[in-house]
Amino acid sequence: MSAILARYFDGKSSDARQVSLELDAQGMLRVRGDGIEFSCPVAAVRVSERIGSSRRHLTFPDGSQCETGDNDGVDRMFAAQEPAAARLLHRWESGPRYALAAVAITIAAAAAAIFWGIPALAKQVAFALPASTEKLLGSDALAALDRFIFTPSRLPPERQEALHKLHAAMLAELAAGRGGGSGYRLELRAGGRAGANAFALPAGIIIMTDELVALSKDDQELEAVLAHEIGHLRQRHILRHVLQDSVTVLLIAVTLGDLTSLTTLAATAPTALLQAKFSRDFEREADDYALGHLARRGISPEVFAAILQRMEDKRPGGENAGKDAPDFLSSHPGTRERIARARGAR
Amino acid sequence: MEQNTAAQQAAAPVALQFTGAAGEYFRIWIVNLCLSVLTLGIYSAWAKVRRKRYFYGCTLLEGASFEYLGNPVAILKGRVIVVLAFAAYALLKEVHFLIGIALFFAVAAGLPWVIQRALQFNARNSTHRNVRFGFRGTKMDVFAVLLIGALLVPITLGLGYPFYLAMKRRIFVDNSTYGNQKFSFSATTGDYYLAALKLSFAFFGFLLGSLVTFGIGLLPFYLLLRAYAETSFARLSWRNTQLGSIRFDCGWTTGGLFGLYFLNTLGIILSFGLLVPWAAIRTARYKLERITLESADGLGGFLAAAQDSVGAVGDEAGELLGFDFGL
Repeated sequence: MSAILARYFDGKSSDARQVSLELDAQGMLRVRGDGIEFSCPVAAVRVSERIGSSRRHLTFPDGSQCETGDNDGVDRMFAAQEPAAARLLHRWESGPRYALAAVAITIAAAAAAIFWGIPALAKQVAFALPASTEKLLGSDALAALDRFIFTPSRLPPERQEALHKLHAAMLAELAAGRGGGSGYRLELRAGGRAGANAFALPAGIIIMTDELVALSKDDQELEAVLAHEIGHLRQRHILRHVLQDSVTVLLIAVTLGDLTSLTTLAATAPTALLQAKFSRDFEREADDYALGHLARRGISPEVFAAILQRMEDKRPGGENAGKDAPDFLSSHPGTRERIARARGAR
Repeated sequence: MEQNTAAQQAAAPVALQFTGAAGEYFRIWIVNLCLSVLTLGIYSAWAKVRRKRYFYGCTLLEGASFEYLGNPVAILKGRVIVVLAFAAYALLKEVHFLIGIALFFAVAAGLPWVIQRALQFNARNSTHRNVRFGFRGTKMDVFAVLLIGALLVPITLGLGYPFYLAMKRRIFVDNSTYGNQKFSFSATTGDYYLAALKLSFAFFGFLLGSLVTFGIGLLPFYLLLRAYAETSFARLSWRNTQLGSIRFDCGWTTGGLFGLYFLNTLGIILSFGLLVPWAAIRTARYKLERITLESADGLGGFLAAAQDSVGAVGDEAGELLGFDFGL
């Protein structure tokens, strides 16, 4: 076997000495040159892994070291002790065709993780956590909204009572049917900036604004909206949203964190886009729940389409309005598509 | 006559050399990224070590390379802690805003310790010629820098910023070691104020340029400003850094760095990120090959003097305790 030329550093000074390394038949490595002469078992030498054409470092038991650019020579000499994984990794890094495969796998895996893996995981975790977790999450959300957006409802007391009765009847039906829904409560508020709208808060609170009540033609329309919000609550959408967002941001940061700051910055843009996609999926799930509820009660899905259409018409500037509301409130993208879905459910 | 030439040769500045190649690094990078995604980020600790080992191993001084010895498991431990802290913060801040604020202060209080550990980890795991670098700064040093940065700078409406920059650099350089040799820093706070003053003129140029071109020139002018800022502070700090009798020089220019960044940005955008490794190699080559070392005694003379190196033979304690946060 041919010798390897290397520079020897004793670790005590930064002096470099030219040496040659040779392996004998007994598995002893002989290091010779420039006032150096020793040998040690080849298995006792720690060899740095091969990364591209960068220099390799061989560390001897006494802490002294050799540095060499003769990568093939090192591979030959230490073939016996090179871990299979290291060899495989270097093979993968060596071929242009393997690199193309890596690009394809990376894109496919990232897309699968973001669009399917993480949402599925978040769903599992959200349903595994006790309901009290969500209550914990939203305990001060209503108080904050009351401070900044809402004022007490100005609906007449008997109207308010009728709406609470409607809500209670829906919960009773829910409990009798598929179970759950205990602890959900309805809060009526004057909407202020939020206008004609309804929201689900994590603590099982559904907020409906006076403006929405005024906008509705009958209580069936309000029932459809309430069913949509109950759908959000039953599907644990807020907890899932928090989980999905955090995990996605984390994954992107961890995998791309090693790149330049420029690309890390660019990584935040897709997260914002994904958020819009996630909330659209959640709207669809809640709509499905509402349409199922209407079907069970024998109410036409057209009722839901009608109130959606009127809410959309009322909103100044259409779909982009309500931007100053907190993130989880600006929740209704793609209204036209949702109306079409409701009509299609007939 | 002969001796004279030898002395001249000894005193001639020596530049760092970078042997990394874009194609080769692209393949390392994409395999790193692929395995990181497939393992949901766990492999990223190994990916980081592989990347650093490549760049260190491709950086040569007088024919000898640098070596990175960071242990991926230590880095993974650090990352798990960061991820858990982040997750706890993301969930608990929703519970009550006061808990969020309390957590924020808890993290802030732990920051000097984390940064000091990270600096130490990074330095101790960097070697050249089998001799380790080191960082001897204490938690209190880091705490003082952070305090100045977080309190003095806002109170003085940014006028204290050059003072903060100078202090940060001085504490970093003065506490860095190579073997048993100390680095030292000689730039004054005044130097930093002068550089900052020039930079503020450049900033007005940036604003004016962006306005005159109706915002079209925003990105190029921003890159120009960034190139100028980086160049002036890098020159200031390298030219005032000394290791034993070795002096450093930095030959970056605003124009050179601007051309580099402009092409890098263009390439990354047009290739949807696939040219990130190409940009990284170009940047490393430009920056490293323009750092030069010079010593009146000659480099060899100095390097031999760095004897009895501190823990060049495996200072395991640093590795055991120090986890890295990629700061």
